[in-house]
Amino acid sequence: MILKTSNLKYKYQNGKTINFPDVGLNPGDKVLINGVSGSGKTTFLNLIAGAIKIQDGDIELASSQYSLMSSSDLDKIRANHIGYVFQTLNLIPFLSVLENIALGVKFSKTRSANIDSIDQEAVRLVESLGLDKSILNNSVNNLSIGQQQRVAVARALLGKPNLILADEPTSALDVDSKNRFLKELVQTFDPSSQAILMVSHDLSLAPYFDTVIDFGKANV
Amino acid sequence: MASMVLLLSIERIQQATEQGFNQSISGVDAIVGPRSSSLEVVLYTVFHLGRPTNNITMQTVDDIRTRDDIDWLVPIALGDSHKGFRVIATEPNYFKHVKYAGDKPLLMSNGRAFKEISEAVVGADVAKKLDYKVGSDIYITHGSSDAIGKKHDDFSFKVSGILNKTGTPIDQAVFVDLKGYELIHIGWQSGKKIFGLDRLDVSSIPKEDLTPKTVTAAFVGLKSQLTLFSFARELRQYHKEAISAVIPGVALSELWSIVGMVDKGFELLSWIIITISLISMITLIISSIENRKREMTIYRANGATPLYLASLVVFEAILIALSAIIGAVIFVTIITHLASSQLNIALGITPEFQWVSLEEIKVFAIILIAGVLSSLIPAAIVFKKSLHQGLS
Repeated sequence: MILKTSNLKYKYQNGKTINFPDVGLNPGDKVLINGVSGSGKTTFLNLIAGAIKIQDGDIELASSQYSLMSSSDLDKIRANHIGYVFQTLNLIPFLSVLENIALGVKFSKTRSANIDSIDQEAVRLVESLGLDKSILNNSVNNLSIGQQQRVAVARALLGKPNLILADEPTSALDVDSKNRFLKELVQTFDPSSQAILMVSHDLSLAPYFDTVIDFGKANV
Repeated sequence: MASMVLLLSIERIQQATEQGFNQSISGVDAIVGPRSSSLEVVLYTVFHLGRPTNNITMQTVDDIRTRDDIDWLVPIALGDSHKGFRVIATEPNYFKHVKYAGDKPLLMSNGRAFKEISEAVVGADVAKKLDYKVGSDIYITHGSSDAIGKKHDDFSFKVSGILNKTGTPIDQAVFVDLKGYELIHIGWQSGKKIFGLDRLDVSSIPKEDLTPKTVTAAFVGLKSQLTLFSFARELRQYHKEAISAVIPGVALSELWSIVGMVDKGFELLSWIIITISLISMITLIISSIENRKREMTIYRANGATPLYLASLVVFEAILIALSAIIGAVIFVTIITHLASSQLNIALGITPEFQWVSLEEIKVFAIILIAGVLSSLIPAAIVFKKSLHQGLS
């Protein structure tokens, strides 16, 4: 199993508490978390990414238990095992497309060891995501939102991290771009070693996933 | 960067000017002149700045020349000019005894020192600017400027030698023989020409009659430097005339102590500006943190630790400080290059500026360390934010 969450509970500063459903992901799983704004979808991703500390319950990723780990250990877990795609503004504007993609393995020896050459792997990923390899040396400012999201996916997939976390990555895309983006994401990830966990309020994306968890219903 | 340019420019120009002044005269133990401010005597005899207010008699010069402690003595007479350049009337042994920049002798790039009363030696800048060569004829103007003086147009000097470039006021001087100088002033009274030399048979005038009655000052070399202060003391007590012996090094030290106070004020001002610049840099970095929140989040999402992000801020501060230092060095080099030509025009000295001095490296190190220390504040803010902020 890649990811397993159990009895996760998070209390915000305003006193609001969210109980998260237990989630388990095996290689090849594609899970969509659906829910309205404020249902805790992004907080759930932050907890799994180790960006915020768990308060109650536990998370197990790649056989490591978060409750036993320091924040620097969680940074390592994130670097080695998680690829993260944001809603928008995924790329650093002063870096080239290739440099942005290479960030995916910059902080992880484990992910670096999974690939022979960053350049070759970047070419493979951008092409399988429907982009031309010539964009690799371009400035990211010249890319459309759809192209930027695909570059962000290439970065998240580089070095084959076990878990791809995506936070509303299609919310800024039109219907055609959204469908194309998801189709290419599902085709490009490696089901033998990777799993996808995406949060979105858009239920029309459900056909691309094996499981849909509705936080709106699950939360107390 | 501007504050560093100010600090370094002041420092470099001050040091180079001091060095230029100090190198302008060497080998001269004392300057004997009319009793006056020692600085004034040095400024008009060595740097040709200002005007001599009084002269000393040749009788006094001869009395000093015969003293046992004197090794050599060279009288000089100032007052006339040639196309804006000062004329120094002296004896041929001036070129033997007066040195510059430590112990460098005055050498001719062309020709030789004057031997005849109608010969002249010109400094390197004079020759270059007026395109003079050995054999060129020159006329001297009575007084320090062509605009106010009348030309001694009845007697010309022939250039017998051109001095090597020295980077001192010597480059901008015309040297003539004292006797020749006396000759062209025959027929002049109170700055006015009463009759011209054309009325006289110059060749029939005995050379000993051309010995001037007065000179402006005399450069003196002593047999032993140990007698310098007793020599100066005894000359103050000379009863026939009010004279004094000025020690050039001491007079220049007086000058630098006056200039030094102004310089310290500028230096303090520069450090205040540098401190303000560093505070501005911290404020700028802190305000940019909010704008760069997204960039930091992307780094965090890819596994960057809070320490890495904090170190990025410190690295950035180092980069800003280094850029400022490099920029300052380039600017200061341009400024000092311009200053060099201005100092040459104004003071006759050609200071040599170092590329980067040890003192400047110390200043750079202080600024760099201060920059790094200042960046620790925004770095700590980034570190703290990264620990507690999610990836949204």
